[in-house]
Amino acid sequence: MTARRRILQGFLTAAAVAVLSPFINLIGYFYRKEETSVRRQKIANLKELSPGSYIYFSYPATGDSKVDNDPFRQYVLIMTRDGQLRVYSRVCVHLWCLPAYIPTRGQMICPCHGSIYREEDGVAVDGPAAYQSYPTNALPMGRIEVDENGDIWMVGIEGRIGYGREWHALKPEDLVKKV
Amino acid sequence: MSYGSKTMRELISNLWKWTVDRLERTTIVVYKFTVPKQYVSPFGFLGTLTAIVFAILGVSGAFLMFYYRPDVELAYLSVQEIQEKVPFGFIMRNIHYHASNFMVFLAILHLYYQYFSGRYKIKNEVLWVTGIVLGVLTVLEAYTGYNLIMNQRALLAVNIGMGLTYSAPLLGPSVAPILLGGGLFDLVIRFYALHVFILPLIMLLLAAVHFPRALVIDFPIISAVVGVIFISAGLFPAELGIKFDLTRGIVEVPEWYLTAIYAFLRSGTERFTAGALLPLLFVILFLIVPFVDKSRKLSWRDRPFFTGLGIASIALIAITTVWGFYVDFTKETAFDQLYIEPTVFYGTIGLVTLASFYATYLYMSRMRRPTRPTPTKPVILSPRASANIILVLLVLIALAAAATFYTYSVNLPNHSMFYLGISFFLFGLLLHVYRHALYTGERLRAQREQRAETIAQ
Repeated sequence: MTARRRILQGFLTAAAVAVLSPFINLIGYFYRKEETSVRRQKIANLKELSPGSYIYFSYPATGDSKVDNDPFRQYVLIMTRDGQLRVYSRVCVHLWCLPAYIPTRGQMICPCHGSIYREEDGVAVDGPAAYQSYPTNALPMGRIEVDENGDIWMVGIEGRIGYGREWHALKPEDLVKKV
Repeated sequence: MSYGSKTMRELISNLWKWTVDRLERTTIVVYKFTVPKQYVSPFGFLGTLTAIVFAILGVSGAFLMFYYRPDVELAYLSVQEIQEKVPFGFIMRNIHYHASNFMVFLAILHLYYQYFSGRYKIKNEVLWVTGIVLGVLTVLEAYTGYNLIMNQRALLAVNIGMGLTYSAPLLGPSVAPILLGGGLFDLVIRFYALHVFILPLIMLLLAAVHFPRALVIDFPIISAVVGVIFISAGLFPAELGIKFDLTRGIVEVPEWYLTAIYAFLRSGTERFTAGALLPLLFVILFLIVPFVDKSRKLSWRDRPFFTGLGIASIALIAITTVWGFYVDFTKETAFDQLYIEPTVFYGTIGLVTLASFYATYLYMSRMRRPTRPTPTKPVILSPRASANIILVLLVLIALAAAATFYTYSVNLPNHSMFYLGISFFLFGLLLHVYRHALYTGERLRAQREQRAETIAQ
């Protein structure tokens, strides 16, 4: 092959790459934007909460009831019995049922197979979820911020819903920020 | 009148010839369709049968699409509507469901027949590899299909599938959200897109490569297979299950072609290893067989090692499938009922697989080359006997058809499917006897002519 032909072929390849390069982000089509970007959403105010109280809410809320009622968007905001704020995904990491928070016990208990999660860090302490290996034995957590007015904002998710959370890596109190 | 009908017939035959001539310019002439004039063993054309069941699935699936709603809340209700309210809906859904089971079953049979007869070697490697990929896609297609119902069993399967995807190293965490989207409301639509379009499209493209050029279209067997699908639909009508409910725990077992994987998951083995790595190893084993078994020997008799391996793999599938269905109801909680003790589990599957390999290998290496078996004399019916059998079959088919109509009219659709299956099966038999009568008739005529000739000489 002559050198000129080889150079021309190089140009052709470069041109093809340039034309196709905008499609490199096509993979992004398959991800919902809200899953990949930070979204601030007000959940409640500190005044509405007392130790042992909780609020169920959906995140990210869209106003579309079909979307907002999806189990994978259900969260619970808890003020633990010793006054800590925590947000957990409500989807049990065992078989996706929705555990309920029981203030008197300070635990979330799954109605289906009886998995029990601690209120302080969402780690399963009993039931089938507790037998699952790390990191699939803890509920995903919400990252929250509390501003000077006492408003509580959810700003992100730590962990994978219905799967688990790398809870050795991050302390639950690090997910609560005062701004 | 007779003149008119004659020209009509001519016109049609001319049009047919005209079309056939022009088809020579298309790819369809590449395929050589053979309609056997005599009985041939259906093991040789299991692939065509699988493709025909795939076509049945396409048609019945298209019917279902008119009523199905890919919506997290409405999906179950729409399947319920198809099942209970839509005319023929119950039957259409059962055809689709049972045909899917048969497709998986026929594909497995096809795989093993080709394996034992060494058809994966000598320039057949591409056929073989595309076939294995098609088999995996068939199972994925069936999996995405039964999840669309959104009942408890579907949620269990989706849960296991998502867990496996998430636990995959490297790619898992970024691939899982593609399937899941923003939640179950996205998942059901994405599975629907995969089930009705993306996976079938890939399968069709692969099938275009996988099809050998000679295709056997054997109507008696096709009719019998359709009959068996209807009979099994009548005997075991597809159930609706319980609508998925995230506050209620029940013990569910997946479809039979996935219980083997389920058994591994239930033994407490690490999730990704149990549910993805081991099945993948199994598939890879089949993928590389043509590149490992380089001998030019085709018959299973001449390849004791690979025959042993094939038998061992069948034993492995069988024992793990049985384990997957095993539920210990003496235990109290759902979790304990489903737990499989790993030492017992791996002990039994190891023992059974190794024993079946060793026994096959030992038996075959001691087996002497068989003396050519005396060919069994084929049953030959006189044309008169054939005609009588056809007449009897005709009466039976009429009875079965009447039963089909009657049971349908009194709202017993599963009985109706059963009788419809019987009539399809008998029709297949009738076609076979008809073909036999034509064939023997021709032979008798030829013999008679020959005899007349020799006498004349």
